[in-house]
Amino acid sequence: MRRTNRALNRILLTLVGLALLGTGAALIAAGTLPGAADTWRAIGSTVTDQARTLSSTALLPEPARSWWLVAGVAVLLLGAILSAAWLASQGGGRTPRLAEQADGINGRTVVDVGLISAAVHQALNGNKNVLAASVSAWESRSGTALRLRMQARKGTSPRELADTAEELIQGIDVWLGHPLPVLVRITSGARTRVSGSRRAR
Amino acid sequence: MKQDRVIRRMIRRDTHSSRSVPSVVVASILLVTFLWLALESVLWLLKDQPLLASPAQLRQWLLDLPANTIPAGMTAAGVGLGILGLLIIGIAVGKGRRPRRALASDRTATVVDDDVIAAAVSSKARLAAGLAPGQVTTTVGGRSVRVQVRPTSGVPLNLESIKTALDGELATYALDRPVKRNVRVLNEGAVGQ
Repeated sequence: MRRTNRALNRILLTLVGLALLGTGAALIAAGTLPGAADTWRAIGSTVTDQARTLSSTALLPEPARSWWLVAGVAVLLLGAILSAAWLASQGGGRTPRLAEQADGINGRTVVDVGLISAAVHQALNGNKNVLAASVSAWESRSGTALRLRMQARKGTSPRELADTAEELIQGIDVWLGHPLPVLVRITSGARTRVSGSRRAR
Repeated sequence: MKQDRVIRRMIRRDTHSSRSVPSVVVASILLVTFLWLALESVLWLLKDQPLLASPAQLRQWLLDLPANTIPAGMTAAGVGLGILGLLIIGIAVGKGRRPRRALASDRTATVVDDDVIAAAVSSKARLAAGLAPGQVTTTVGGRSVRVQVRPTSGVPLNLESIKTALDGELATYALDRPVKRNVRVLNEGAVGQ
């Protein structure tokens, strides 16, 4: 339900994995192949020499010395910013308001998740098969979606719970007037493990 | 039709991992590394004391690495990094299924934890055979539901009734991924039930 960009996560993780794999292969080659250590040194020296020649061009006054060195620092900072952006793209999308309707000059009507939550708790109050329920709303690509989570008592048929949930959702549909996309999660949890099954043998 | 697509998308997103935990770990490590390298470079440009190692020291260390390390050490480090890389690629490319599955529903996207299904199947089998709690254990995983029944000593067990009861129960779930039911009766019985 979260807004995480999953394709991005997969692509970036693959790239990082490939980079690690490449480094590993280079290390293995340097450890096993006889001439690899010399090649390693040669490549390293060439790269440093080139960097040195570059940094002696495009001169800047002290302390920056050269535009190329400034550019190097900028690239590192850019990498840090991109990493931070990747970090920030995880999760998100939870919203406290479920539905909203503007009535022109008369104002706006906003339906809070709390209202639905209270209604669901009220409806499930006497239900022995549901140990706990929670309702949340999420912004998704197809508009705001409702997520109803129910913790099942041990041994309860998920079909029964799904039917209960469906009845609740139908009530909410009638209430709100327009159907929302709904995800029903039937879970086990800490309370499921300690709660006995209801029916006697 | 559009409703259908929305529901399928919600089910897919809930039954598959978003890989956010490995992403957060990798992104944090990258962030710290980049910031550290940038800071060291600036300190080096300003001719200040390095925090851990200046870029020049780093370069020298990298160049001397093959000469200063024994070949076996290099290989071992390479193998370690390679395995880590493969692991990350595996997380990224793999299916990333979570232990839960979707129940058929007309109106909503309904996703159920595998342990809830297992507990329900156990309780159904128990009721069908008249057994005590703990005599039936169920494992739900992948494409199978494995039920293990421990009969009461000296009391004949009606295996057929268990099987029909379970088939009926699983049919009402109408899971999106079909599961194979597999009932196994243990040789050892439970005493004194």
